[in-house]
Amino acid sequence: MGPAGIVVALSVLTIGVAAVFFVEPKITMGITGKILAFAGLCILPVLCIAAGMNFHMQRSEQTAFCISCHSMEAYGKSLYIDDPKHLPAQHFQNHRVPPDMACYACHTDYTIFGPLKDKLSGMTRIYLQYVSTPPNPITIKGGFKNAQCLHCHLGARAFEENPVHIPMMASLVSNQMSCLTSGCHDKAHDVANLSHEKLWKPGS
Amino acid sequence: MIFNEMKMLRFFRVASAFVIVGLLLEIVSLLWFSPLSFVLFAFVAAALIGLGVLIYLASLVFAMLPTSENRG
Repeated sequence: MGPAGIVVALSVLTIGVAAVFFVEPKITMGITGKILAFAGLCILPVLCIAAGMNFHMQRSEQTAFCISCHSMEAYGKSLYIDDPKHLPAQHFQNHRVPPDMACYACHTDYTIFGPLKDKLSGMTRIYLQYVSTPPNPITIKGGFKNAQCLHCHLGARAFEENPVHIPMMASLVSNQMSCLTSGCHDKAHDVANLSHEKLWKPGS
Repeated sequence: MIFNEMKMLRFFRVASAFVIVGLLLEIVSLLWFSPLSFVLFAFVAAALIGLGVLIYLASLVFAMLPTSENRG
């Protein structure tokens, strides 16, 4: 049984208990009924909310979830571009980020309230997708921050001893110079030219 | 007292109804793979379940309040 199955089973159990009080509320007159009512109408429902929230938070970190929005499909496809110069593609294809959490790994804000902030900005995107119109091209509010790259790369020997990185390290750490600066790692999600790119097929 | 108990039972029934509907929607949101499933969970299902729990807790508080005939 997967995590969804466990939450569904817990919810079904709670529905069963709550249904007893809906059909026969008089059983709460006795002490056993009172204890059962507290479990069925307070403890179990709160547990279900917590378990459901945890499940939804984890599911929203999945690559498949991110690209389930129509406007993100091209970005998902760009992970399969068969060219090592394409930054997200080479991270995804070489498992430098967990492939099932590829979007989240590079786009989350690695702070205490990062996942919550991501969720709130995700709500804006849901609004754009279903109520308004998503911008074309899609941009990141405030731009892509180096902190997201440095979360993994800072301290890594290949990054810190790279002769190109050494003279600009302070600018990179302070975000004065973007990792995506033209001439550096500037090929990220090149969706405009996706139709001209050769795509990698896993297992081929 | 009888009036109070009757009222409490009605509150329990309403609370269970909210919890049941909320949980049914939570199950739908868990099985539905779409960005909207989170919206359904957070803004509808969790809100209904929370409301059910609050009604239940409120009924316990109201049940402890003295009625007009018991007030000294």
